Parts: sequence; C-alpha cells; structure tokens
Amino acid sequence: MKNLIKITATLLLLGGLNSASAMDLSKADIGNGAAVWSDVCMRCHNVRLPEDLNKRAWEYSMNHMRIRAGLTGQETRDILAFILASKTKDDAHN
Amino acid sequence: MKNNLKGITLMSFFASTLLSTQLFGANIEQLAQDVELLKANLESNSKSGFQLAGYAAFDYSDKDFSGVKFAPIFHAKYGDIFQFEGELEFNVDSKGETVTELEYAAGTIFLNDYMGLQVGKFMSPVGQFVQNQHPSWINKLPATPVGFGHDGAAPTSNVGVALRGGLPKMGDIRSNYVLFVANASVYGKVEDGAIEGSIDANGRTSSNGAAPTIGGRYAINPVGNMEVGISGSFGQISDVDQSSSTRDYSVFDVDFMYNIDAISLKGEYVQQDIGTSDISSFDTEGGTWAAWYAQASYLFAFAPIEPVIRYSDYHNPELQRNQLALGLNYLFASNLVAKLAFEVNTNEDSAVPSDGLYNEDILRMQLAFGF
Repeated sequence: MKNLIKITATLLLLGGLNSASAMDLSKADIGNGAAVWSDVCMRCHNVRLPEDLNKRAWEYSMNHMRIRAGLTGQETRDILAFILASKTKDDAHN
Repeated sequence: MKNNLKGITLMSFFASTLLSTQLFGANIEQLAQDVELLKANLESNSKSGFQLAGYAAFDYSDKDFSGVKFAPIFHAKYGDIFQFEGELEFNVDSKGETVTELEYAAGTIFLNDYMGLQVGKFMSPVGQFVQNQHPSWINKLPATPVGFGHDGAAPTSNVGVALRGGLPKMGDIRSNYVLFVANASVYGKVEDGAIEGSIDANGRTSSNGAAPTIGGRYAINPVGNMEVGISGSFGQISDVDQSSSTRDYSVFDVDFMYNIDAISLKGEYVQQDIGTSDISSFDTEGGTWAAWYAQASYLFAFAPIEPVIRYSDYHNPELQRNQLALGLNYLFASNLVAKLAFEVNTNEDSAVPSDGLYNEDILRMQLAFGF
C-alpha cells in the first residue's frame, strides 16, 4: 500500500497535475490536427465528419479517443481545433 | 371638435401601438442575443457535463433475425483533467431474454499531456481488435473473427488500474503505451453442471486467490497511417471452483493496422497460455489458446460500397477452427453501415463432432449504427 502511494505521488509530481479548465485550444496547431486526424482516426474506423457531432460532443469524443487511440494531450487539442474550425457555417451553432 | 379629439386619440393609439411593437421586436432581438451569450458562457464555463454516445446493431443469419444489440456509452468529464466512460451492452437472446453486460466503466485522470491514470473496468489493452474494433459500426464484418469473441483466445476486459497515453514524437514517429495491473482471470466455465476448460478473461472484482495480472502494450506508427503494436501480460490464474488451484498465466499479442488510400489492412495474433495444476478438479494440464486474423477492405470512390475479406483461425486444447469471411458493406453514412457477409467455417479437428456449431457456412446480414 505504501509503495502504491509512493508511485502515485511520484507520477503526480512527474506529471504536474493539470488544472481543471475547459480544453484550451489557444495553442492548438490546426495543421497538425488535420494530419493526425487523417492518419489516426481512419486506421480504426470510417472517418467521422465535423458535422456528425456538435461542438460539445466533439470535446467528449476527443477525450475518449485520447484514451483509446493513445493520443497526447496536444494532439487531442490539435484535432479538436481542426474539427471545430472545419465545421461549416450551417452547423456552427451546434 | 369632437371629431378632432377622436382623430388625435386614434393617431395616438396607432403611434403608441407602432412604437410598442418596435420596442417589443427590439426586446425580443435583445433577449435572443442575451440567451445566445448566456448559452455560450455556460458552454465555455461548464467544467463538468456528460454526453451520450454508443451504437446499435440488428442481425439476420441462418433464417433468423438473430441479434438485437443496443450499447449506450456514457461520457462525463470534469474540465480537461478527468473523463469517465462507461458502456452497457444489451442483447436479446434466443429465448427473448435481455442479456446485460457492463463492457467497461472507467475513470481517467489526465496527469499531463502524456499520461492518463485509468481506474475501473476497461477493455483489455492487449491487442487492438477487442479494444478498438469491437463496436458493430467499426467492425467491418457482422461477426468477430474466430477466437476474438468472449471466452476466446483474446482477453476481453480487466478490472484494475492502467497508465496510458501518447509519447513525445521521435522525429516523425508517433508512439503510444499502456501499462496495467488488474485482477486475475479465472479458468473454467460451468456449463450444464460440468466445468469446461475455458479462460474467463472478463474483468472481475476478485482475483480468486491468484496473483494479479500485470501487462501492457506499446505501439509505434512507423508511417502516419500505420500502427504496429506488441502487447502482453503475465500473472496467475485460478480454477473457477477452487481458488487454491492456481497456475501460471501469460498473454502475448502482436497487431498491425495500415491504411493505403482506400485500402484498409488489419491483422492480429494473440495467444494465452496457462500452466499445469496438480490439484485441479477438471484439467491438470493447461494449454494454449491462440487465434489470429488478417483482414483487407477497399472503399470504392464512385459509391459508398466496401468489399471485405477476412481469414481467421483459432485453436485451443479442445478445438481447431478457421473461418473465411467475405463481406460487402454499404455505407449510408460513415457511422451507418449495412453489411452482407458469407462465412465459410471449418472445423479442422475431426475428433470433435460436427454439431453444426463450428462447421456450418453462414450468410449474415447486419445494420449497424454508431452515434
């Protein structure tokens, strides 16, 4: 049990626990997001288009794919920024 | 004079009505703007919330409407540091009863950009079919490859803790990892009062007296649209009827996925080994459960039609079987797929009686929807 606590504490120190903010896309690289989206998503499943989900749902789905596809946090934000930027005017309110 | 007064009154009434109508219209517009602003603020300021996703599938095979599946997935998050996800799977069986299973329910704390600490019941990180291909709208054929379903050669899920994420790029090469510690699996399945030699590698909340399972997966993307993974685990497994009957347990897996334009290639080999037990009541020898599959599909450009071919092979101490599946999919949308497939099933072991379970050729149809 002591070892488990030590390991957890070390991981937290190494990682520097993130703050609980909404996903910050201000430093996202849309170009990299497009490249990773094109490479990674279609390896497992048919491509999901930006208009398939609303903005809020994309954020949850990208967190899910971060876990499932082994994306880094930055790649997750890059893909999300690319998807949101690609949403057309017609579905921008979603 | 009276007429003048009437005229002034009427004019005043019309003028005030017009003014109030304009003001009312302006108020409505302002109200709409305020609501939009409030909505936007709520959206951006909400640290927690939830989303429903999932999939459903309807099957036809062997002259029966053979399957109805509804698998809702619940996602909840707190900011960008925590995500919970859980999938329930509802199936209707041949007796009309609803079978419910908690496929996974796990929370992940994102420690930093490269580490997520996951706890709960999660899909087995060993290999890629079980973890990433199992949803019906993703699997390109109506059924799983032989040996990759429940109680086959591939572990299904684990209850424990996992550390996972993507790693910093090495040049142009991306990579990702999972390390996990979980409760041990159980050997033996009670069927009609007797115990069958079968590995139950579904996550459970007890190790049943055995040492925990420790494992992981490491995958690299040598080129962007290719992933090659190696994974495995080791520990102990105990008999379902006797926790003191523990044995060695190990899993080994290699997998790959490669997309070349409209061609999609996938393959995986998985092997579970269990050791001997002198005190087992039903099987002292143990053995190897191994399965592999190779799959190719091609999405035509002129129409959303996708032919698929898959060969899979499975053997364990009691049976050897293989399957060639040919499929043709029509994509109404990327997440709404109608599938038609013909499976040629072969039982390679002549000692096992042909009971129609493993060596019948089957025509399958499925409509799958991911949402």
